[in-house]
Amino acid sequence: MALESHLLDEPGHHIETIVSGPGLIEYVSEALSSLALIVMIVLIGAEAIMRNLFGGSLQITSEIGGYLLVAVTFLSMSVSEAHGAFHRVELVQARMSRPARIWLQIVFDACSLTISLLVTWQLGRLAFNSWNSGDVAPTPLQTPLWLPQMVMGIGMASLCLALLRSAHSKYAALQSEVSV
Amino acid sequence: MTPGVELLLVLAIFIVLLCLGMTIPFAITVPSVIYLLINAGLPGLKGIGLVTWGSMNSFTLTAIPLFILMAEILQESKLSLRVYRGLSKLVAWMPGGLLQTNIAGCAIFAAISGSSVVTAASIGRVALPELERRKYNPRISAGSLAAGGTLGILVPPSIAMIVYGTFTETSVAKLFMAGVVPGLVLTAMFMIYIAIHALVNPSIAPKENGASNLREFCEALLDVFPFLVLICGTIGSIYTGLVTPTEAAAVGCLLAAVIAGIWGESNFGVYKRAFQSTTRVCGNILFIIYAAFLFSYAISYAGVGEQITQFLVGLKLSKFEFFFAMFVLYTVLGCLVESLGMIVVTVPLLYPVLLQYGIDPIWFGVILVIFIEMGQISPPIGINLFVIQGIWKGKLSDVVMGTIPFHLIMFILLLLLVAFPEIAMWLPSVANIQK
Repeated sequence: MALESHLLDEPGHHIETIVSGPGLIEYVSEALSSLALIVMIVLIGAEAIMRNLFGGSLQITSEIGGYLLVAVTFLSMSVSEAHGAFHRVELVQARMSRPARIWLQIVFDACSLTISLLVTWQLGRLAFNSWNSGDVAPTPLQTPLWLPQMVMGIGMASLCLALLRSAHSKYAALQSEVSV
Repeated sequence: MTPGVELLLVLAIFIVLLCLGMTIPFAITVPSVIYLLINAGLPGLKGIGLVTWGSMNSFTLTAIPLFILMAEILQESKLSLRVYRGLSKLVAWMPGGLLQTNIAGCAIFAAISGSSVVTAASIGRVALPELERRKYNPRISAGSLAAGGTLGILVPPSIAMIVYGTFTETSVAKLFMAGVVPGLVLTAMFMIYIAIHALVNPSIAPKENGASNLREFCEALLDVFPFLVLICGTIGSIYTGLVTPTEAAAVGCLLAAVIAGIWGESNFGVYKRAFQSTTRVCGNILFIIYAAFLFSYAISYAGVGEQITQFLVGLKLSKFEFFFAMFVLYTVLGCLVESLGMIVVTVPLLYPVLLQYGIDPIWFGVILVIFIEMGQISPPIGINLFVIQGIWKGKLSDVVMGTIPFHLIMFILLLLLVAFPEIAMWLPSVANIQK
């Protein structure tokens, strides 16, 4: 896997941030997230038109809209992590030496990974329980709930992988600095 | 450990992690999960799945990614450049020249963007090179852009208001309408200040000429026109009750695409970049909101929220004293905590107290947004300061000094809103808002 280290182009960042860069998972997540946004626009736009022009409703907009938001939320997390797009306060880190800063970021990645694994476990458990008990949405669509719930678990698991890759990139940057 | 001490410990962990530079969503999630583990061990985590599903499966919140996308389409299609060029002809004749254009540009961009950072960055990128070239005073140039950018969350649409509305189950449409007049008043106050400052000290801004003939004036109007169409299409349709804020966001995205096709750059690359950027920004903002729901769940699990409410109500503060306490709290927090983090950590704790004091949640939503605006230009972590400094490559201290007068103006607006709540409450009361 090629490692990438670059300065962020995100506004608000002013210290060097080592990121892993997007991999296959992030590219797929980004594409799915964009697709979810397009469907959201079409669906919600159609609902507004239906109500104002024909006085009716699609009846499924708020249900599907909610599922799409869940998808965008959880699929975009790993993309943000891979690009170093999560905001952070750089006040203290800007005053640290480069190795100390990278070590601190690795420790934070490890903490974040631990917590994300715990959350992934709980989200996976929720989807499994819904599947096991055959839960469906109390709506005309009667969507099996494990389907949208599974996306939350998959998104969170992708974030765990992205965090792992971020920590690895930072460790590799430290090693290369030591060898130089 | 009593629940109160546990909460203080968790808040301390949050502040320490934040200051040390942990990414903001995790700086909220980590103490929340620790709090659950302290209180109930691993079984305490069992509710996380249901809380996640119950909170993020929300139709109201779908407005956030859509408003972000709308602003990104306009940004990528280079329409922000056009609006600045148009406004420079329309308002630069006023004392202060392009500094006035900064504020007017930010106010107009704020009306299509829900974010201060996006507003400050969009107008800042266009304005700062021009201001430097024309030898404007660096401090007030940077200060006007950092402060003008904060209009992004007061003038609707506003991501901060959507989040506040979601947490407090307050009408987002009413919150949007409540932000309109204070947003216009604040814009006017910023512009009046710049005009007076330029008249007293003409060296801060060279004299600019506006449109020299009718043709230039019409061309300038045409540059601003696409934004006016979009603003009328989104905010206007919410006001008239044609659409909900979420629907306005979707309609706004479609309109933005049409406008970009007619007046700006529009090709596959523009949309690809807009979607990529939206995904990255959403990953950050929606994760902060999700983390906040976990935080809210953690404090409600321990029942400490009720204790805090009882404690604050037991103090029997007058409304003015309560407001002053809020002012101190948010001024301090604004120096330490990022804007969205400030809402999501404090609102679940304070909202029940507001109800006890009989404070209107719509009015408080506007007040809270202004507190957050002030936080965004408060050193050491005010994000707009860094956004402008990042574009400008100048000294942070100059940006900070440049924002001080604008800080004071925001404070005056706060006092006006306390004295005359109708400034915020009038428009929601007359608007025909979709239920």
